[in-house]
Amino acid sequence: MLDQNNAGFENKLLAKIKDSKMSPKPRWRFLLTDSFVWFAGLIALLIGAAAISVMIYLFKFNDWEIYDQTKKSFLEFFILTLPYFWIVFLALFVFILSYYLKHTKKGYRYSEILIIGASIILSVILGTVLYATGCGEKLDNIIGSRTPYYDQVINRHVDMWSQPHEGRLSGLVVDKSSDEQFILVDRENQAWIVNTENSKLYGGAVVIIYQPIRLTGKETGEHTFRADRILPLNAGRGFFLRLNIPDSTQ
Amino acid sequence: MNILDYSIDDIEKLTDAELVKLSLKNQDSFVYLVDRYKGKLSSYIKRLTNANNEDAEDILQEVFIKVYLNLNDFDKNLKFSSWIYRITHNQVISGHRKLKARPEGYAVNLDDQLANSLASEIDIKGQVDHNILQEQINLVLNKLEPKYRDVLVLKFLEEQSYQEISDILKKPLGTVASLMNKAKREFKTEFEKQNLKI
Repeated sequence: MLDQNNAGFENKLLAKIKDSKMSPKPRWRFLLTDSFVWFAGLIALLIGAAAISVMIYLFKFNDWEIYDQTKKSFLEFFILTLPYFWIVFLALFVFILSYYLKHTKKGYRYSEILIIGASIILSVILGTVLYATGCGEKLDNIIGSRTPYYDQVINRHVDMWSQPHEGRLSGLVVDKSSDEQFILVDRENQAWIVNTENSKLYGGAVVIIYQPIRLTGKETGEHTFRADRILPLNAGRGFFLRLNIPDSTQ
Repeated sequence: MNILDYSIDDIEKLTDAELVKLSLKNQDSFVYLVDRYKGKLSSYIKRLTNANNEDAEDILQEVFIKVYLNLNDFDKNLKFSSWIYRITHNQVISGHRKLKARPEGYAVNLDDQLANSLASEIDIKGQVDHNILQEQINLVLNKLEPKYRDVLVLKFLEEQSYQEISDILKKPLGTVASLMNKAKREFKTEFEKQNLKI
């Protein structure tokens, strides 16, 4: 019990509290801080999950079945087509999510490894759900249509499919003069005359004006290309749909 | 209920959490919490720092002001003692630079039971004369890295459980256990070094 003979400290403290008109900070301030931590964590989770959904989308259309067309080994092809941008992006947001989880009221009770592991698992689960709802495709289209350096940094498939001298060409069909020839505009807005005399359609590809496609075949001259295979272009559609169509082809 | 509605016996029976609730309604109730913890925390501050009585009292006052201002942040799922020790620990760390300049040496004497408990746990009992055991323990603790000293002080001198130490230092239980093992080893090594010097 309070010993009045030895209560100098308590009395001095209470006097200081009263003189300075101190009062406990309101509960809502702490709730607000806690809520902010959770909210920031949730945002990081959503962004990380969105990155996962785009990665799944890109992986789905990674052309595993035709990697030999690229004249690279499977390992080279795999390394070349890894979505590095999204991996770095995901790592950043997993780190941010882990940071906020660690700074929740009881976050300190869990080890770093557990928290990082949980952040990755949560991002993958939510990312898979987002992918299943079509979020990955939508995001890729939006980012492709608006982001600079998309073809070099974000989706390196575009770059891989823009090597006509190696037999790979992609772009937007802008004119179809006959069943055996059409005009395609590549990522640099260059128009190509594509000969499709001996070509085959794969993966449900259709040659329709203002639709992006990919071709394998051979560069036969200046801006002319003989197509062997015509393939649909899924990941990166947004990027090609933003191309300015040259007047000469319209 | 107001604190004035309680008898002295009733107040003694109140839990810390109940006193927190009462302190939020009535400032005067806070003195009972202060009374419960000032002795323990004063010793803890002196064990962690080289503070003299005056400095320790200043730190203690800052601690209790912080506790009072943050009463609404007290999580009832946590032991109040863990929460107040955490605030004290953080306050000591934030004022560490100021205190570091002072001569080394702990101002608090260990009682025999605590000294023996630590000596027996670390298996150093019998290696040194009982009369100089306390002095040696203080000396060795002072030589240890703060992260090792913190866990040893909390476990053996403040008699906190591993879970409480985890809540005070805001570290996972596994990390506390691992720190404790390393701290015991470091303590023993340093203790033997010091012993050789005698």
